[in-house]
Amino acid sequence: MSKYIPTIGIEVHVELKTKTKIFSSSKNGYGSMANSLTNVVDLGYPGTLPTLNEEVINTAIKAAHVLNCKIRKKQHFDRKNYFYPDNPKNYQITEARTPIGYDGYVEIEINNEKKKIEIEEIHIEEDTCKSAHRGKVSLLDFNRAGVPLIEIVSKACIETNEEAKLYLEKLRQLLFYSDISDCKMEEGSMRCDANVSLRKNIADPLGTKCEIKNIGSISNVGIAISKEIERQAKLLDQGESFQEQTRRFDDKLNDTILMRVKETGNDYRYFPEPDIPYVIITDERIEKAISSLPMLPDQRKELYLSRGVSEVNATKIIANRNLSDYLNEFLDTNLNFQVATNLLLGDISGYLNRQEKEINQTELTKEKFIELVKKVEENTLTSKNVKDILDEYLETSQTLDELIQKNGISNITDESLLTEVVDKIILENPDSVKDYQAGKERAIKFLMGQIMKETKGSANPKLVNEILISKLNK
Amino acid sequence: MSKYLDLSLIEINELLKSKKITPTDLVLECFEKIEKNKDLNCFITLDKEGALEKAKSLEDKEIKSLTYGIPIAIKDNIVTKNIKTTAASKMLENFIPIYDADVVKKINDADMIIIGKTNMDEFAMGSSTQTSFFGNTKNPWNKSLVPGGSSGGSAAAVSARLTPIALGSDTGGSIRQPSSFCGIVGLKPTYGRVSRYGLIAFASSLDQIGPMTRNVYENALVLNAICGKSSNDLTSYETNEDFTRLIGKDIEGMKIAIPKFYMSDAIDKEIKDKLNNIIDLLKSKNCTIDYVDIKYIDKAVPLYQIIAMGEASSNLARFDGIRYGYSYENPKDIRDLYFKTRRFGFGNEVKRRIMIGSYLLSGKNATTYYNKAMAIRDDMRNSFLKVYQDYDLIIGPTATTKAYPLGQDLDDAVKAFMDDILTIPVNMAGLPAMSLPIGFSTDHLPIGMQIIAAPFKEAKIYQLASFIEKELNLDLCPKLGGESNE
Repeated sequence: MSKYIPTIGIEVHVELKTKTKIFSSSKNGYGSMANSLTNVVDLGYPGTLPTLNEEVINTAIKAAHVLNCKIRKKQHFDRKNYFYPDNPKNYQITEARTPIGYDGYVEIEINNEKKKIEIEEIHIEEDTCKSAHRGKVSLLDFNRAGVPLIEIVSKACIETNEEAKLYLEKLRQLLFYSDISDCKMEEGSMRCDANVSLRKNIADPLGTKCEIKNIGSISNVGIAISKEIERQAKLLDQGESFQEQTRRFDDKLNDTILMRVKETGNDYRYFPEPDIPYVIITDERIEKAISSLPMLPDQRKELYLSRGVSEVNATKIIANRNLSDYLNEFLDTNLNFQVATNLLLGDISGYLNRQEKEINQTELTKEKFIELVKKVEENTLTSKNVKDILDEYLETSQTLDELIQKNGISNITDESLLTEVVDKIILENPDSVKDYQAGKERAIKFLMGQIMKETKGSANPKLVNEILISKLNK
Repeated sequence: MSKYLDLSLIEINELLKSKKITPTDLVLECFEKIEKNKDLNCFITLDKEGALEKAKSLEDKEIKSLTYGIPIAIKDNIVTKNIKTTAASKMLENFIPIYDADVVKKINDADMIIIGKTNMDEFAMGSSTQTSFFGNTKNPWNKSLVPGGSSGGSAAAVSARLTPIALGSDTGGSIRQPSSFCGIVGLKPTYGRVSRYGLIAFASSLDQIGPMTRNVYENALVLNAICGKSSNDLTSYETNEDFTRLIGKDIEGMKIAIPKFYMSDAIDKEIKDKLNNIIDLLKSKNCTIDYVDIKYIDKAVPLYQIIAMGEASSNLARFDGIRYGYSYENPKDIRDLYFKTRRFGFGNEVKRRIMIGSYLLSGKNATTYYNKAMAIRDDMRNSFLKVYQDYDLIIGPTATTKAYPLGQDLDDAVKAFMDDILTIPVNMAGLPAMSLPIGFSTDHLPIGMQIIAAPFKEAKIYQLASFIEKELNLDLCPKLGGESNE
């Protein structure tokens, strides 16, 4: 394996989350009854003409921006001519010569090092029909015909399947966070093709490449690439040359299989689409589109870290956009973000997963969350207390105080009472006391545990800690 | 037989307003005439039932315009909901559209009555209406001659007074040349003036729908009704004006240019003579007449062929037998369906143009031919626009010849294009132009002149045309069907 250097380029098609299709007023939606979201334009009826959904341009501007691309100010659409049953006009309207974005990159982190995966271009185009084959019959669903797509073409600068996966994860996160696309690979709103070639030395020209089409998940991209590297390496080992191929990933076989050997240069007879005038993008338009972008993952992370959130928590929160968006509602408060993320990622996530709910479907108002975080931060509530009342807190409009009272949570803050318990435990555990005095900090944890046990978890831990230390230090 | 339809729209309107006649009378007269002149083969589809229904429904409506209740024929490449639209092709022999073209909606809104769909060259490819799958149309002035094309059915129908108004489409002269051959007034508006939505595309960057009428004033009225920006056509423009406003206004001192190319030896002497008469007439009104050069105008035909056929090859790709239209039965596989549907569905001229167009866009040819042609086209347009800095209008003949015998030129694809050398430059530059009858040949065939304006200056065309029309006062009714038109 290590004899060869793989070169990988990835093309990603992403369906844009717009209300209507790119060239017609049909609704852009997934999961509707077949052929219910279609009109004469989508069907390529004689005499029909495309219109242009401006929302698509704005969304593509955002995509170009978040992928660090330069934005082209003057573009035209082109016709890509080819016959295929899923291609209603037998030409696809695309931006072949003037992609809206170019020369961009996405930064990934691999082995603790940052690497820029360069992006050649982003162009806008229309999606085709979905076809389904039933024995001798083929069925066409035009709901997808004319759904806006952007195609993101990376440079051939990816060296391992690990990098490919990280690149796609990052891409998905960025596009999802920017409200550009749902990026649901299982629904086809994000689709990947990978080009793989091998060569012996970095100075050699690129080897014969093979394209693997329409891989259904990011982990399968990883598998497909490593299988393809293996396949090509074996052929090269045997001294065989091979032709350019188009392959597809079969998830049952867990391997790539041949679709077709590439014929000499596809001839798409491109020419500028005469039905759509030039698209001119002004600086104001770019600014407006960019200013409407939600906060991006990297920005969020930086912000969370600056608010005292641990690296681990910050990464985890960002992986769940709903939680991150929820947390961002507290940016202008003095909420303890570390405690807040602990709660969100811990018991609250547990509840949401159990109930299959999103956080905005609960009764956790902003005020109620602030109250909860505060009480936990002050140790007025122990983690056991939180567990006891959380479900009710999330499901009803009751206040924390009401629930504390109702559940008989007597968070013992009576100093004399606590001193009694502390004295008792110190007496019962002379060895631990000795350990502590010998400098073993761990001993204090054990003693604390014993005190909490004695009080059935209702002692105020902060207070206990203070009393215990002062006693031990006497 | 009543003869209301030979009256002017103003006269008909007065009769309608005074309730002496109803729209139904007009429709019935129309169909009587069509029946009598069936041999002209002007129509592919007639919609008598629909027309009578519309006429009836109009009776309760207030008469708001001169177009109220007026029958109109629509070229069969403009889609009409529930009325068969064939583009004169076997490919669409039984195609019934499920939507109306923008112009059809506007025609309906103007209270006009659609009587049927006119014959044409298949997919508007031709200039004699002989490539129609439904047989050729005859010229009402002499039935052994072509009516011109591709809007030959519309031109012949108006010429024979089967309908006062028809719509045509013009990609390289398809409104103006048949108008010239049939002695009617045909206008190709500025590219973008009329929405193309619903016009079955031939060459998208050149196609334009326009009115074909008996006289200049009525032509302007129809353009008033059909123009305007449409949200369905990104290449259409918002324009709001009355095209009749300069009609009858003095033309004294107008500045007029004639491209030298338009008076070359390629033009029939008889036609040049007629045009010279017009030049004298204009000079007598103190108009300036200058001869000018326009860059690349002599190369317009090959440039046009590259662009038109390239675009056509793509526009006609959608006819594949899958969703609508002719579909070859029991194909072996999808390739077989494509091949046989297109082999048997298209006629020879259409296939020839698709093949040439595909070749021209193929691989490197796209840069060698198409891109270059587009660049030269810009130069030609700019050269035209420069002339309009100093002149109001450009004039010249519409066609190099008068109507010629049926069957002639059928096998000579190149010569057929030469019919259009004077009209094509106008489409290439996106300008508005009219063909106006200016007299007859010695064998009494109509001859037309072209009046070409700067973009969106149609009103100027109507001004000059109305002046010439009035001065010449020609009898433009062909003597037909043994019936006198006196």
